[in-house]
Amino acid sequence: MSNIYLQDISRGIVKDNPVFRLVLGMCPTLAITTLMVNGLGMGLAAAAVLICSNVVISSLRRFIPDQVRIPCFIVVIASFVTVIEMLLKAFQPGLYDALGVFVPLIVVNCIILGRAEAFASKKPVLRSLADGVGIGLGFTVSLLILSTIREVIGSGTLLGETAMTVNLFGPAFEPMKLFALPPGGFIVLGLLLGLVNLIFKRYNIK
Amino acid sequence: MRNILRLSLTLAIVGIVSAALLTGVYNWTEPIIAEREAAEYLQAVQEFFPTVADTRQETIENNLFDLIYDSSNNLLGVMAVIQQQGYDGIITYNLAMDSSGKIIGLRIISHSDTPGIGDVITTPGFQSQFIGKTYEDPIEKGVDVDSVSGATVSTSAMINSVRQMAGVIAFTFLSFEEEIFDITAVPDGTYEGIGRGLMDEIAVAVTVEGGQITAIKVLRQNETPNYYVESYPLIPERIIAEQSLEIDIKTGATGSAEGIVNAVRDALQKAIEGGGEESE
Repeated sequence: MSNIYLQDISRGIVKDNPVFRLVLGMCPTLAITTLMVNGLGMGLAAAAVLICSNVVISSLRRFIPDQVRIPCFIVVIASFVTVIEMLLKAFQPGLYDALGVFVPLIVVNCIILGRAEAFASKKPVLRSLADGVGIGLGFTVSLLILSTIREVIGSGTLLGETAMTVNLFGPAFEPMKLFALPPGGFIVLGLLLGLVNLIFKRYNIK
Repeated sequence: MRNILRLSLTLAIVGIVSAALLTGVYNWTEPIIAEREAAEYLQAVQEFFPTVADTRQETIENNLFDLIYDSSNNLLGVMAVIQQQGYDGIITYNLAMDSSGKIIGLRIISHSDTPGIGDVITTPGFQSQFIGKTYEDPIEKGVDVDSVSGATVSTSAMINSVRQMAGVIAFTFLSFEEEIFDITAVPDGTYEGIGRGLMDEIAVAVTVEGGQITAIKVLRQNETPNYYVESYPLIPERIIAEQSLEIDIKTGATGSAEGIVNAVRDALQKAIEGGGEESE
């Protein structure tokens, strides 16, 4: 019985990975993955919204008529985003400033509306919860991978702008700033997408 | 009919529940946010004015000016929060000036200029050149402060903004008198002067007859043609019409306009000091 929930979670991280497999939510993915802490923060914020909205939408799925489902989903999602935004502002102001406009923009993150429409509005609550956790983790892990690569090459640090910043290459190192800029985001994302496709093909994962 | 009722009712209920949730969270986080912002603000002020006891806020256009007082109600200085158009969006920064009209602090609060290029404005190397300057200093690119090549737009924007705001703070809040140029004191003649435009120096010839500016001719300029036409001949016309250098320089080419005004001022100053090279 618990098997199906574990499957939902692992499917969200690997087979239906929102960034590398579904290629959803590209706007925040490319924009904020300049530093690991931003990638992690964005991923967790979106995951929190996704889990909450999946659970609520799934539990309301019998009450919400089909014709008004999209506005209802958006109101639910927007409410959770606003809650997250206020919580970040109160307790994690540094992260709030770093993520900037991309926090309110989680409302229109197509991953969240996509999961509401494709999964939560059709499946039971617990499975929707598992799906939210899986996809949320998948998004977070993807952002973390992207931002780690971009930070190491683009800034020469690990965990930059936090208390635990590690300067990897010493002060004489001139980082390749291109990777901290938008073109670097596209380059890293493109290479990773290719790599993931290659792996999936090689091991025949469907 | 029943269907419409059901649809609207569902939407209404979802909306009301969300609103209730948001109100709850807002009421919970609002005091925490306010307290944190107040603490941050105090810390920002204390960095420049360690003995601050009281502040009073004034607003001019989009910029906030905090008048800083010590415990015996003496004005210590002013800390401004200034918004300036940068290369890519608004640069928000703090400018602190003590009561003697000296800049004692500059700090970028937020900007969206290019990382690795325009963000040179956040470096101590760039910022420190403003510290210690007074409202009387030129604060002019290439004169007493330097722009950074590769980031000319971001750094020039900061330099121009600091110069302008240093004047605003000193004349509005610190009761320094703005020196108004007395054109009637200039003897008749034609004088040449040089001012820094946006791109390069602008050289002008100013003709004074009977204490009045009668003609301003630009001798040399290297401004962007499309922008330059916005400030010439408009700016010389304004100066002649108002017989003053304190004219409105907001045109489509404020950098060039400033250059022309400064060149005219330079010419007249030289004339008064007697060292003016009279042309012709």
